[in-house]
Amino acid sequence: MGLVERHSRTTDLTNWRGQIPVNYVYTMGRAGEKFFRGILKGQLLTTECQTCSVTYLPPRIYCERCFARLEDSYTKVPAQGTVHTFTACHKTLDGSHTDEPILLAMIRIDQTDGGLVHYLGEVKPEAVFVGMPVQAKFKPKKERVGSILDIAYFKPRPRV
Amino acid sequence: MEISADMLKGTATGLKHKDLVQGKVLTTSCDPNLQYAWDDGVAIGRYLKELKHGRIIAKKCNKCDRTMLPPRMFCERCWRITDDWVFVQDTGKVNTFAISHVDWKAGRLPKGQRYFTPAVIEIDGASAGMGILHLLDEVDPDDIYVGMKVRAVWRPEAERTGAITDIKYFKPY
Repeated sequence: MGLVERHSRTTDLTNWRGQIPVNYVYTMGRAGEKFFRGILKGQLLTTECQTCSVTYLPPRIYCERCFARLEDSYTKVPAQGTVHTFTACHKTLDGSHTDEPILLAMIRIDQTDGGLVHYLGEVKPEAVFVGMPVQAKFKPKKERVGSILDIAYFKPRPRV
Repeated sequence: MEISADMLKGTATGLKHKDLVQGKVLTTSCDPNLQYAWDDGVAIGRYLKELKHGRIIAKKCNKCDRTMLPPRMFCERCWRITDDWVFVQDTGKVNTFAISHVDWKAGRLPKGQRYFTPAVIEIDGASAGMGILHLLDEVDPDDIYVGMKVRAVWRPEAERTGAITDIKYFKPY
């Protein structure tokens, strides 16, 4: 008994198996609903607080600084911006290796104080740089479902 | 993931089932595959194996003379390794119980369904206060009392899997 009583063969080991159900359905909220309806149409929508001079993207229904209501200020902005930071990811979502790195970037959207984390496309990893001008490449209209992935990726845009 | 009318029950949004399924409002959903395998160790491993055989096993600490159920390899009172395996009865008495008017998802039970009556059952042969959290059945919820003598109702041997649910429930005897 005592300490000698322990599993000495791996075949003796037993375990308890289970699955944790944590599935969910999440609605987009008031501003999210507007934003993704815009995405369906190929548009980016913002809200603006004129008092604080802040333009929110994604849009908010309240100003985070002065709590003013912003719901009457939805405005369309061009679906373009600049790379704020980026990474080349050599692993896929399931953890397997990929030779073709997946490019992810935080993109500051022009005319706003906000941005989106998204994929970069139509560009080689070594050609990406911080400050690179990019524009959204939307999926064909009938493939859009009201998701951030209705934008397929952001691609380089010629400097003007 | 399937959106059921159930999910919206009692939510404050005022949204209807059809608002979600017909796309009146946009949604995002996730159904992650979160599987786990928990090493049940020497004590619980043996305990589950014995349940499959229709027996309840406990472990003794010879120093404090307690028979511990579920069995454990270590006496948390004496700070020492436990000693003998002992089989205990599949009878016991109700230590505490609840009459639950809600189901596992915390929703109201359908009309006509019997309330859940979970109880802690002190098992005969184990030390006082040692026992199993399980369900009571074949008893009117109003007739349950602390100290009521109950007996395990086992699943047929072929259906047992080495789980606490190899006991279907406890009933008075």
